[in-house]
Amino acid sequence: MSESTPILTLSQVSIGFPGELPLLTGIDFEAYAGEVIGLVGVSGIGKTTFLRTLAGQVPLMAGDVEIFGFDDIRSAPRGSIGYIPQRLGLVHHRTVGYNVLMGALPRASRWQTLLALPSSEMRQATRAAVAAVDLEDKILEPISQLSGGQQRRVAVARSLVQCPRLLLADECLGELDITTSEVVAEQLIHLAHEQGACVILVDHSPVRLKVLCDRVFELRQGTIREDEPDHLRLPMA
Amino acid sequence: MANSMGDILHLLRKRPRLVVMAGLAILAVLTAEHLQISGPSLSRGWENLLIILSEAWPPDFSVLTNRASWANPACNFESDMLCSPAFIGLVQTLEIAFLATLFGALISLPLATMAAHNLSPLWLSTATRNLLAGLRVLPSLIWALLFVIVVGIGPLAGVLAMTLYTIGYLGKLQYEALEGVGKHPLEVARAMGLSRPVVARYFAIPEASNALISQILFMFEYNVRHGSVVGLVGAGGIGWYMQYYIAPFKLYDRVLALLIVLYFTVVIIDFISLRIRHRFIESEEIRKPRWRDVFLPQK
Repeated sequence: MSESTPILTLSQVSIGFPGELPLLTGIDFEAYAGEVIGLVGVSGIGKTTFLRTLAGQVPLMAGDVEIFGFDDIRSAPRGSIGYIPQRLGLVHHRTVGYNVLMGALPRASRWQTLLALPSSEMRQATRAAVAAVDLEDKILEPISQLSGGQQRRVAVARSLVQCPRLLLADECLGELDITTSEVVAEQLIHLAHEQGACVILVDHSPVRLKVLCDRVFELRQGTIREDEPDHLRLPMA
Repeated sequence: MANSMGDILHLLRKRPRLVVMAGLAILAVLTAEHLQISGPSLSRGWENLLIILSEAWPPDFSVLTNRASWANPACNFESDMLCSPAFIGLVQTLEIAFLATLFGALISLPLATMAAHNLSPLWLSTATRNLLAGLRVLPSLIWALLFVIVVGIGPLAGVLAMTLYTIGYLGKLQYEALEGVGKHPLEVARAMGLSRPVVARYFAIPEASNALISQILFMFEYNVRHGSVVGLVGAGGIGWYMQYYIAPFKLYDRVLALLIVLYFTVVIIDFISLRIRHRFIESEEIRKPRWRDVFLPQK
């Protein structure tokens, strides 16, 4: 499943906001293609900031990074990083189809982007991704008219169309009913195991991560450590 | 004496609002004196106003029926009403406002994306904001004066003047709306590696689209009202016809008739615009606008 060369390597990295004390320090972390990695930790520990840093939205405070052979996250090839923030980052005044199609923008040519003319491959990929998350009947509905769970499925479908090499998903399984949760999880695992992407999944539930992920890391006391899934503290019964 | 001064100071300390009001009153008197505004000049003005009102009343609605043979540009319709000063002026004012809003919006939107801090680097947003501020420094009336000199009397000067003002004013409203867009869609787009213009076009502008459309409609309303003002300096529209009656002939009854026509037009446009804008306002709690909302502020 995992290749020998990591797609992402962090060496002695510190993470936090400029001008503030770092949230996480001394991070050594490797991620490989084709694996699902879980990140768990209490609220406010820095899970979201960790993902935003890997998405290139927060600068590194210290340390070295290597991603797809580049030493700067922002130098990563276009479309290689996918990000599903906790609030999903959907365009609320547009339809499901529009939002899912946005995942294809990184591979659109200049003319296609300029004239807003997606190729038939992009339209087909959009329809397939919408079908994969069971939202075919909602494809023309605006996002604002969908439930929270349906919106999450749209965000996942956008990532399916994008087909990134590294997908960063922030609590995209939280607050979902069991059926929806299964649909979303199935797609994320498919993306990793079948299409060779690395999926880094932040979640509050160690139990869920234990089931879904190949490796689970815990953020605790300002740093990150890999835990055997069995060692994770399970919630009180 | 010392005791009464102490009482006054004590009162002023207890009532700081009184100090502010007294200060404002003194400042107002001093300013009026510096501007040489006096009682006699005010009473003279009042007398003149009464003379104008007596000459203006009753309004002469022949401006709606008589043909304006001196219209600029010339009117070729057979119907006198369609070639009346009121009709031509009103249509011209609406046309000037429409074109100025259209061209202004088309130019201001790219500028607004360049001026928004969340979509552009600091150097570009600062430079664009300064450009937009520069366009707002002169009111549309002064722009109109300049363009009347440059391109001559007529609606073209009005369109150019109001387009420039629209770019400055609408651009500011638009970049503020774009800066109000949540960071999450933008972060998703940036993580994908999309360029700034693509992020703006496909994520920021659609997310702010309701506010942007509402602002464009507001700007059209504003331009209709100001379209009459720029006409006074020769830049076309109903204002030009008002100026024609005021300057050489002092036909205030016809001017009043034109003002009444303009008033009802503005009220109708305000109402239609309010209804359309209501469709784009996000809150479900806002009730449907009614006629009185045109005249009274909404709660």
